[in-house]
Amino acid sequence: MNRARPIDPPRATLAQGKATVPDTGIPGRDERCEVFVNDTFHDARRHGFLLPGLVLFLLLAACGSLALGPVDLAPTRVVAALVGRADPVAQAIVVDLRLPRLLVGLLVGAALGLGGAVLQGFLRNPLAEPSVLGTSNAAALGAVVMLYFGLADWHGVAMPAVAIVSGLGALALLFMLAGRSESPLTLILAGIAVSTLAAAGISLALNLSPNPFAAMEIMTWLLGSIENRSFAHVRIALPCVAIGCALMLTSGKAIDALSLGEDGARSLGVDLARSRIVILSGVAIGVGGAVAVSGAIGFVGLIVPHLVRPFTDRGPSAVLLPSLLAGALLLTLADIAVRLIPTTTELKLGVVTAFLGVPVFMTHLLRERRIW
Amino acid sequence: MKRGKLFRGEGAMAASSGARSLRSGAVIGLAGLGAALAWIGAAPAGPTPAAQPGARPRRIVSLNLCADQYLLALADRDQIAGLTRNATDPDLSAAAKDARGLRILGQSAEEILEIQPDLIIGARSRRSPVLAALPAQDYRLVDLAWATSFAQIAAQTRQIADAVGHHGRGAALVARMERDLAGLPQPGKGRVAAYYQRRGYLTGTGTLVDDLMQRAGLVNLAGRLDKPALSRLSLEELVAARPDFIIVEAAAEKVSDQGTEMLQHPALRGVRRIVLPQAWTVCGGPAYVRAARSLVEQLGAS
Repeated sequence: MNRARPIDPPRATLAQGKATVPDTGIPGRDERCEVFVNDTFHDARRHGFLLPGLVLFLLLAACGSLALGPVDLAPTRVVAALVGRADPVAQAIVVDLRLPRLLVGLLVGAALGLGGAVLQGFLRNPLAEPSVLGTSNAAALGAVVMLYFGLADWHGVAMPAVAIVSGLGALALLFMLAGRSESPLTLILAGIAVSTLAAAGISLALNLSPNPFAAMEIMTWLLGSIENRSFAHVRIALPCVAIGCALMLTSGKAIDALSLGEDGARSLGVDLARSRIVILSGVAIGVGGAVAVSGAIGFVGLIVPHLVRPFTDRGPSAVLLPSLLAGALLLTLADIAVRLIPTTTELKLGVVTAFLGVPVFMTHLLRERRIW
Repeated sequence: MKRGKLFRGEGAMAASSGARSLRSGAVIGLAGLGAALAWIGAAPAGPTPAAQPGARPRRIVSLNLCADQYLLALADRDQIAGLTRNATDPDLSAAAKDARGLRILGQSAEEILEIQPDLIIGARSRRSPVLAALPAQDYRLVDLAWATSFAQIAAQTRQIADAVGHHGRGAALVARMERDLAGLPQPGKGRVAAYYQRRGYLTGTGTLVDDLMQRAGLVNLAGRLDKPALSRLSLEELVAARPDFIIVEAAAEKVSDQGTEMLQHPALRGVRRIVLPQAWTVCGGPAYVRAARSLVEQLGAS
């Protein structure tokens, strides 16, 4: 499995944590391996302040998101609107516009952040995440097809369901293309292929649809936006993200074991086939439901695990919960930035996340270059 | 395929500045040549005299959706050799029914070469990419300015009627439109309305829509907010501005994408809605009267 893969222990430790420890599956052959296995199920896997800190920042960002917007509202009016004692204008702005937008942002960010952390652990690849691997674009394609050909009216669950199925299809296609290759390059290339195919599908679907405003809509779906979301969108995203995140969070033990390689995981008693299904459907359901209401927002799942990892023991499962919170935080902050940057037309969320994400991506590309 | 629809919305900056330049183009056209009539022969420089009554053009080609409407109202059917591809689209063309059965042109210069038209009508036709592709020929061109008021519509009606050789029809149509409009009340009573398009584009002053609002006694929110002819207004800002009415396009009432979904946002539920078909307002033309009447009726009912 790890044939011909050059191993450079100090670099590997730095760059990818213990996930790249040679997956020999032979206990004791490598000392770090031993330490890691002992460490993994230890309690103090995260810095004590990580989770409380993230929750605190999340609360602050949420307050900011409710307080900021094109219309200036005094904080007292915002609070009054939240408890239902404000004038109709403030009430409509805070409760009908800003609150659902905040909630959609939290849900989408949580799903993308956790999705990235799970995929990075599961695939043992620091560049894996829903948008790089094409899952987001494929889910957006499903949503676009349903919406633009008038099929979303059939039933409330039709659009997110198709988004989930097409996200799952993209993951299946990815595994067909990349197979069991251990090379990070193969997986990323396969992801680019899937992602490009789905983006082309979105453009084609919009061009074929009777919609004359296709050009503008293509941008929204490929770069993502949570402007003008309502509680109808929260109702679509909430169950999907909740189920998807629950599935992904249960996979912690499996992805920790997988950092020893598939044989190592099997020897630890992990049912690989089952955990693969749980992880991939968790990613597809969470990301699919999120993308169905926001469009494909890139790089959140890439950035977030790398940001929180230094505050953990670098074990794949230790990153999961912090990534969920940090994903929600990052998207909320990005959405505030979109509102504050003065542009004549709405700035897409994906633009902001790409500016943050591409440097992370490049750093890892440069580190990986020697393998490729 | 129908992306040519983007006259007003969505084009963002480009469309916004386009709307302004179209307006100023119209003003220059009016000031320069009386009724904005511009006969341009390609070979002989300068305007050529208007058509003689005895020499009605027999193969007229329209390069513009608005020119389609005038041609269908004023020319004989057998005079019309080609209309634009949106002429039969009921969402965009107020005379879609009349256009059925007539030849619809694509955007190819070859078709025009084949027709050998004796009159071409279009907006800023000299800059038309179709004509630019044609070898220099002695086509007679009529530039149709962008109408932003009923006065301009009346002038254009006369202009096209003269060009197609039916002066009397033009005069009769103008008289009929003026009579119909004169009978309309002004139920708006100075209340504020916002012409709110998909994705939050707001139609401003100096437009045909603004002219319609004034006729119905409404005040355009865009004027209140000091916005240009086309601007973008977020839902929040619209809610905060508290207009008495929002006027939306009939086709945008059906949620078919994110742009139209926005117009159904729960935050707008308290604002009274007036629905006008885009086909009546996108072009200045005989449909102006229908738009004005419908606006007045919906205002009176609310």
